[in-house]
Amino acid sequence: MNRIASIALLLLFAAFLFAPYLVNPGLVFIAGFAMIEIVFALSWNLLFSYAGLVSFGHAAFFGIGAYVAAATLRYGYDIHFILVLLICAVLGAVGAFLVALIVLRRASGIQFSVLTLALSQLVVVLIGYSDYFGHDEGISAIPRPVMNFGLFTVDLNRPLANYYFVLFVCLVAVGLMWLLVKGHLGRAMQAVRIDSERAEFIGIDAWRIRVFAFTISGAFAAVAGALLAPWGQIVTPEYVNWLHSAQPIFATLLGGAGFFWGPVVGIVGLSALNYFTRTFTGLSEVLVGASLIAVVLVAPQGILGTLRQLAKRRKGPVKGGHA
Amino acid sequence: MILDAQGIEMSYGALKVLHGVSLQVSESETFAIIGPNGAGKSTLFKVLTGERMTSAGTVRYRGEDLTKLPAFRRARIGFGRTFQVARIFGEVDLMTNVVISIEARLRYSGQSPGAWWRWTPAADVRLEAEEILERFGFPRSRWSDDAQYLSHGDRKRLEFCIALATRPDILMLDEPMAGMSPSDRKEMTKLLMRLKAETGITIVMTEHDMDIIFEMADRLMVLSYGEVIAIGDPEKVRDDPTVRKVYLGQGYQHA
Repeated sequence: MNRIASIALLLLFAAFLFAPYLVNPGLVFIAGFAMIEIVFALSWNLLFSYAGLVSFGHAAFFGIGAYVAAATLRYGYDIHFILVLLICAVLGAVGAFLVALIVLRRASGIQFSVLTLALSQLVVVLIGYSDYFGHDEGISAIPRPVMNFGLFTVDLNRPLANYYFVLFVCLVAVGLMWLLVKGHLGRAMQAVRIDSERAEFIGIDAWRIRVFAFTISGAFAAVAGALLAPWGQIVTPEYVNWLHSAQPIFATLLGGAGFFWGPVVGIVGLSALNYFTRTFTGLSEVLVGASLIAVVLVAPQGILGTLRQLAKRRKGPVKGGHA
Repeated sequence: MILDAQGIEMSYGALKVLHGVSLQVSESETFAIIGPNGAGKSTLFKVLTGERMTSAGTVRYRGEDLTKLPAFRRARIGFGRTFQVARIFGEVDLMTNVVISIEARLRYSGQSPGAWWRWTPAADVRLEAEEILERFGFPRSRWSDDAQYLSHGDRKRLEFCIALATRPDILMLDEPMAGMSPSDRKEMTKLLMRLKAETGITIVMTEHDMDIIFEMADRLMVLSYGEVIAIGDPEKVRDDPTVRKVYLGQGYQHA
């Protein structure tokens, strides 16, 4: 990570940290969405940049979290919301584990990607048939929980508490993912991505590592989804659909593949594009598409990769990053 | 007997590549497999390391049947391997290449490579990696270099570091000197001889450079069209008329 990129990331962090005091409530709302999408995109990137797996159906795990949290809140189950988050993480992990068990046995390349897409679309269809999950309309008017922590209570109906709760959970999730990929398990994942055969000849079971990575990734995607329910107060099949599965992919390509922080930069960029084009229907899609084409043609290593390249131009070959 | 393969057969579709090959390697021996291109050396190698499963025959390691055991399990019980074209972990630095291997050894031998949340390698892991890198001639200044930009010879040396970091009992070397410069070859031979003297590691290798074979090998096996045509002391094998005919050539003299 070079200096410019580190400073940029710190500035982004500061912007999120002080957002409620700096900008209007509309933008704070968008910032909250962006943080949730960042966790979602990072969970996808954990698979892609570390374990070398491309999931085209990651929104399914996001959806598990979003719908389970929405249903528990909407239908008035009296469960502490922290526990709901943990339950969603476990459900996401179990779902991902089962998918990995079935799909990764046979394939880890493009067949894997397409199968994840097919399975996630199946979830969309199933939701469409479900009364409980509100068919195509989804679950709306989701109440925000009040959490009792003994010494103090956190009431998500208060805007500040709501924002900082999302920020806090996102920070914990991002921190856990960072520690995981920088530790020995992350290195084993990288070994599998770079050369799975070489990895096997030092004793690493590539299949197990991939299943593990997919399971963890599913858990974090579900946590992101669970955060969305009280924040957005509406959960629809849109969040499970393939277009939402593509969001982390766009963010990673834009921000820089092969970097842990790539998707953070990407999501902020995409959110900004969406915000500035919000009054022109359809323009945001055109601009997102155009910017992705521009990135692929001009800076295939994404924003972070390009920053690193510029910084290293004097020093010779560029390290890391693969698009 | 560390490695005992009996009646190995392999076919690729209708083409039979190995016709009942048997070999036995004893502890601390250096065993070489030679033969013309297409003789089945690489295929035999793949069967021994677990990359391919035999259609007939058995492979035993210290009496344990591992015919059906996949490569990563063989690696865990003591197989190390290098490839004809060196395979290393590009995109990460030299240090990380070796650290990955040490951590794999610790993880799968019931020890611990450290807590999962430690974002730097444990101190003893790092120290061991430093030792290995230094022994194979990588100075401190190069430890953080990206492995994908190494020269061919350096890649080969780094691959040895990766393979040895798992502390194997038997080292399977598929043409370890292929594509190396003469001086690199000499140095690598010296390194391997020293390693052998220090650790008593068993080596099974294929190689085209006969001078290296005769310098290193305790025993030699010659394959031709998937059959063993000679096996035994290097001297004996060298003077075998069939071997001269199919592989070494009439005029071959060991320098």
